[in-house]
Amino acid sequence: MTAAAPQSLVASTVPWKRWVRRHGWTVGIWLILILLIGYYATLIPRFGGFQVASIVNNGTPLVFLAVAQGVIVIAGGIDLGVGGMLVLSSVSAARLMEGQSFEATIIIAIAILIAAAIINAGVGWIITVSNVPDIVITLGSLYVFQGLALSVLPNPGGGTSDGFRWIFTGSSTGIGTNPWPAALMIVIVVGAVSWWMARTRSGLSLYAAGSDRTAAYLSGIRAARVKIVSYAVGGALAALAGLANTAIAGRGNATTVGGNHTLNSVAAIVLGGVALTGGVGSLIAVVPAGLILFFLNPILTAMGVDPSGAQVFQGVLIVIVMAVTGILEWRRRRRS
Amino acid sequence: MDSINSLLSARGISKRYGPVVALRSADLTVRPGEVHALLGANGAGKSTLVKILSAVFSADSGSVSVHGEQATLRRPSDSVAAGIATVFQDPALIPDLSLSQNLRISSLEPADVLPWLERMNLGNIDFELQVSDVPLAVLRLLDLARALARDPQLLMLDEITAALTTDQVTYVFDLMSEWKEMGRSVLFISHRLGEVLEMCDRATILRNGENVAHLELEGVDEVELVTAMLGEEILKETATRADTGRDFSDQPIVLETRDLSLRDKVVGVSLALRKGEILGLTALEGQGQDELFQVMSGDYRPTSGEMFVDGERLNAWSPYDAIRRGVVLVPADRQQALLPQRSVRENLSIPLYNRPSQWFKLAKDEEERVDRAVKRLDIDVRAGRQAQRLSGGNQQKVTIGRWLASGFTTLLCFDPTRGIDIQTKAQIYDLLREIAAEGASVLLYTSELREISLVCDRALVMYAGRIVSEVDGPTATEAELLSAAHGLSEVPE
Repeated sequence: MTAAAPQSLVASTVPWKRWVRRHGWTVGIWLILILLIGYYATLIPRFGGFQVASIVNNGTPLVFLAVAQGVIVIAGGIDLGVGGMLVLSSVSAARLMEGQSFEATIIIAIAILIAAAIINAGVGWIITVSNVPDIVITLGSLYVFQGLALSVLPNPGGGTSDGFRWIFTGSSTGIGTNPWPAALMIVIVVGAVSWWMARTRSGLSLYAAGSDRTAAYLSGIRAARVKIVSYAVGGALAALAGLANTAIAGRGNATTVGGNHTLNSVAAIVLGGVALTGGVGSLIAVVPAGLILFFLNPILTAMGVDPSGAQVFQGVLIVIVMAVTGILEWRRRRRS
Repeated sequence: MDSINSLLSARGISKRYGPVVALRSADLTVRPGEVHALLGANGAGKSTLVKILSAVFSADSGSVSVHGEQATLRRPSDSVAAGIATVFQDPALIPDLSLSQNLRISSLEPADVLPWLERMNLGNIDFELQVSDVPLAVLRLLDLARALARDPQLLMLDEITAALTTDQVTYVFDLMSEWKEMGRSVLFISHRLGEVLEMCDRATILRNGENVAHLELEGVDEVELVTAMLGEEILKETATRADTGRDFSDQPIVLETRDLSLRDKVVGVSLALRKGEILGLTALEGQGQDELFQVMSGDYRPTSGEMFVDGERLNAWSPYDAIRRGVVLVPADRQQALLPQRSVRENLSIPLYNRPSQWFKLAKDEEERVDRAVKRLDIDVRAGRQAQRLSGGNQQKVTIGRWLASGFTTLLCFDPTRGIDIQTKAQIYDLLREIAAEGASVLLYTSELREISLVCDRALVMYAGRIVSEVDGPTATEAELLSAAHGLSEVPE
């Protein structure tokens, strides 16, 4: 008896539908960013390279921090410590790089990234051996990083080389009209991490462990190793966000509150379509989400909304976007 | 024993979870070129032994050797490296990834599994589908193809036929025979003893975590197997009972559907369930039976058609509405129905919390109702208070028992005996008959055709979303049901 295989398992006759389902969120969030920029251009008297550069350059730290959080959340964890890592990396860079040559600052930057990866891998290791939820351990690491940052640089200060500032801002003073170095940096870093996560066996195992731990284990994936790897990669990306911060400001400031950065990173990944339950999401969509969150402030200022109103607006926006997607997803599941 | 002559030899395997002993001391020897059955009632330790051999769990004591060499099994990859590949009861596929990504995680490409999928009539499957969109039966076959692609010496199949349609079972059996002819071996676990006798050469039987018998299956019949599995307990014959097949036409209709449709999944289903009647429903996998039950239990809203309970229209927005009118569901997936981390008692009493008037007081008779349900269902609560620690059969009893505790008029039962041992099956059949005798009605979907004649008064067959045939329960033959389920109008000779 040979019945034909069910139609639903054969290649879909309408491939665009599946494409929309899989990539619709990514495309949508990029469109929203472009629309917002277009709207912003009509709000202010003069819109040009300076404004674009300002958005891209100053948005870079949040983008990297959101990607860091995205990697960890996709793998089934959550790292409240990324904001602390950002501050610690930023002030360490400012202290070590002050008065150094360009070559020396690059070497220091690489050393900081490696150290951050190792330290955060240690955080991941503690989570795996203790079986304590991620949120508890990383709440601790947030405080530790913030405290270490204060002891590294008790008062705002330090510095870096002009060349180092140029890499992140396209200008040796941190202010200019050139968004390309920062944009290129985002494309290369996020492109590389996304490719790794979607194409390679080690990267896919992050999605696997975050999606279904048991099935992943039965597929031969070692959950502990995946967790440690995700925290290491996330730690390095958070440190990269800190380096961008130092390059933009030209100095370090340990009194910035790391917890706020962490909350922004969580908001950005949620807006970018990463499921907090793990296993779902694309880093490509996290980039515009981070930029949008950063960009809301200048827009609201241009609209004449005062800063406290701006916070309310941000919160309302996140709730509306998530509610709409929740309803759409529910309707889709009812229909299929 | 004869470790030279064995492909796999496990000696004195034991495993305990806290106070619960899953395996006391189990031995298993699989020879090259045989299909070996691992049998036992629920809770006998079969799945635990399989998981130890697959290195999902580590044994507390005992040793495993493959081809006479001691094997160290620490993690699943060790087992694969030793030439053992397993298809577990639950598919080991990641729901949020595509099929091809899942293969890549296991270091395989679609081309590696395609030859095997073609043998199972799945050659044109789209590997870019996301796992969560693929039906369970297909996932199990994919898992099998993935296991075969690793070219294992020993293939372990844990209840692989449970979710499959009849034609899919045939494909699997053909592959098993082929594997055996190649001089490889298969360890086969199934509650369907007919399949075991058809396919297997020898059997190892476990009871309470210990070996009770090694049998050559030549010339053995089902009764002998069951007696060995259950020990001294008297085998309860599950033959047709005198009270099935009565004429119910004088009884009032309690649940009726008129032209019920859900998109193209359910098409114009009209059925009437009378008081005290067990109405059977059978179909091949994916003929709309899942959706029909979802609509009837209030989970999905129908795209057209109506439902009536006691002659009054039921317009359900959620299961809550259906439950309030006495229409309750026992779903196929026990894990989904239970609160795994809560106690058996809580699981039994949840429906009692249903009415807002009860929110702020404890139902006076709660304890009594729960105790009655536990007693009546003979639920084995020895394994601990958490529902997740119960065996599959006992979990199923809890999902039925919660409705016994709260009361209902119509029970929608979706394949309640899937993957359950024969003793518990018999208890569930008896229970359904008792429920019906007390005046409730039951709609019973079953994938095991023989249950129709055992339990049902009347039966419907579904094909491509429609009811295509109605038969008298006790006299229904498997051939008649099977051909109707394939959409054929004539019974083949």
